Amino acid sequence: MSIIKTENLSKVYNPDTVPVHALNNVNISFEEGEFTAVRGPSGSGKTTLLNMIGGLDKPTEGSVTIDGVDISKLKDSKRIDFRLHNIGFVFQHYNLIPVFTARENVSFIMLLQKRGKKEIRERADALLDKVGLSKKKDSRPVQMSGGEQQRVAVARALASEPKFILADEPTANLDTESAMNLLDIMNRMNKEQNVTFIFSTHDQRVIDRARRVITMVDGAIHKDEEQHVAEQA
Amino acid sequence: MKTLVNISWRNIWRHPARSSVLIAAIVAGLWAGVVTVGLVNGLMLQRIDYLIESEVTHAQLHHPEFLAEGYSWLSIPDHDEIKNWLENDGRVKAFSFRTITDGMLQSPVKTSGVRIRGVDSESERRTTTFHENIVEGSYLDDDTPSAVIMGKTLADDHNMEIGNRIVLTFEDTNNELVSGSFNIVGIFQSASTTYDERNVFVRSNDLIRQLSDSPIYHEAGIMLENEELASAVVSELNSSFSGIEAQTWRQLSPELSMLVELGGVMVILITLIIMIALAFGILNTMLMALFERMRELGMLISIGMSRLRVFTMIMTEAVILTITGAAAGMLLAWITIRHFSTSGVNLEMFAEGAAQLGWDYIIYPVLTPMEFVAILAVVVVITLVASAYPAMKGVRINPLEASKSA
Repeated sequence: MSIIKTENLSKVYNPDTVPVHALNNVNISFEEGEFTAVRGPSGSGKTTLLNMIGGLDKPTEGSVTIDGVDISKLKDSKRIDFRLHNIGFVFQHYNLIPVFTARENVSFIMLLQKRGKKEIRERADALLDKVGLSKKKDSRPVQMSGGEQQRVAVARALASEPKFILADEPTANLDTESAMNLLDIMNRMNKEQNVTFIFSTHDQRVIDRARRVITMVDGAIHKDEEQHVAEQA
Repeated sequence: MKTLVNISWRNIWRHPARSSVLIAAIVAGLWAGVVTVGLVNGLMLQRIDYLIESEVTHAQLHHPEFLAEGYSWLSIPDHDEIKNWLENDGRVKAFSFRTITDGMLQSPVKTSGVRIRGVDSESERRTTTFHENIVEGSYLDDDTPSAVIMGKTLADDHNMEIGNRIVLTFEDTNNELVSGSFNIVGIFQSASTTYDERNVFVRSNDLIRQLSDSPIYHEAGIMLENEELASAVVSELNSSFSGIEAQTWRQLSPELSMLVELGGVMVILITLIIMIALAFGILNTMLMALFERMRELGMLISIGMSRLRVFTMIMTEAVILTITGAAAGMLLAWITIRHFSTSGVNLEMFAEGAAQLGWDYIIYPVLTPMEFVAILAVVVVITLVASAYPAMKGVRINPLEASKSA
């Protein structure tokens, strides 16, 4: 069953001056439990596509439907609320709140969701355990490596129990070991808990682990292929 | 809200040096401003209190033309009836009838124009505090015949001292020039050197004897239980007696009323200057904080933090920052004002200039709880206004900022 569906999705930047067609009539859908990489050269539209699916930007034309809701028609405040309850984000630059500890960073989104104190604490601790940071719960971002920060970001994205997680170049700033570690964690979450991950990436390490690879060129889907991924040890 | 306050508080301390400098600036600015307001208030109130208590009194009555013309025959009619009325009115604390005329003071050195004030030392002591201005000799209550007290400036000018004699020449009620020799028994020094130069005091009986065949009075100074009663008492006096004009201290001394208004304007001006500086400090700090955190704020909006919460967070930061500084500044100012309200701020270095203007050089700062609360309220309002712009900018941040490179 598809949880995300785009129809004739187009995005034009600077339509009145020098129009840039970032997306051209993109029709694509994503199923629950996917582990998908969106690849393509710079300017191909992969980040724009993720921004549209994530409700961070509005299409010039077309629609994005998530679980039956056309988010492109939602008002800004409704879209923010929709993101809070339905979409998880992992950013290239981790984007943790520097004044918060790892536990507080993970808890914050649940506080926004107005969950109970006890549930928030238990869930934050459990998620940090899952991403291998049980000893860093009280550390601030500045006291953690890039890989550890990105793992906190993954735990934060999972904390809100989203329908899917969008990860924009999540390994771009990580060394190989950290990147592989992060991918293992995300892969495990995907398999064990059926969490849907959609990446935009240049990183071959990510592409190699994805079961579906979408290649974009000039704002359009160039290739959309399934691939067999060998089980990791 | 607790989370927002928590995150705001921690955000403030991301840059401890910057926040500390702003808080220190708020503390220093508010302390200086509030203490200055207290000093201005104190200066004004002291001047007003001094003038009321030592000279003007809460109300006075005269012949309707006396203050404009100054002739000695323009005296208060039916003064015994008025005395009786004043004695029996519970609102009247004390009163003193005075005989006044303008004349010349002659000493072996020179001649000066003076206002000769004939007073009854007993009732004058009850009514005013002028006797406290005696710096040498005594007031008019010893047995020395034809006693006079004169201002220190005038005495120095004439090279006179206690025990010397002077001659006072003036017109009597029949327009005849009369002269009398008076013995200097006291030297006074009021807050105003101008007043000291132009006034001498004698016993009213001594003056009346030379002025007229019967007792005459030109002025009655009235001290009431409190200042607010002045208008009512004056109005009743004017309706009860003809041929007199009673006036409140505000009517008698419009410059004092102006002083009160001037004090208010100065307080507003000082507060305004501090508040403008405060507003720009907050604006600058909050804008800097905002520009540094565009990506982070973009991330917060991306993951689902409402724009209202972002707005509230930025406003909360500004309010906490300012209230921390303001509370410390106000507390410091309160301690300072409390301390100096009893010991006074000694500005002796400006004593001479202050005396020329009739000001005291020891100032006892005054700040009413109402003024204190008002300043605090203005600080809060200014903070909210100054932080509204950065907060609005924060609200408008595009969530796509989260994906941008640093």
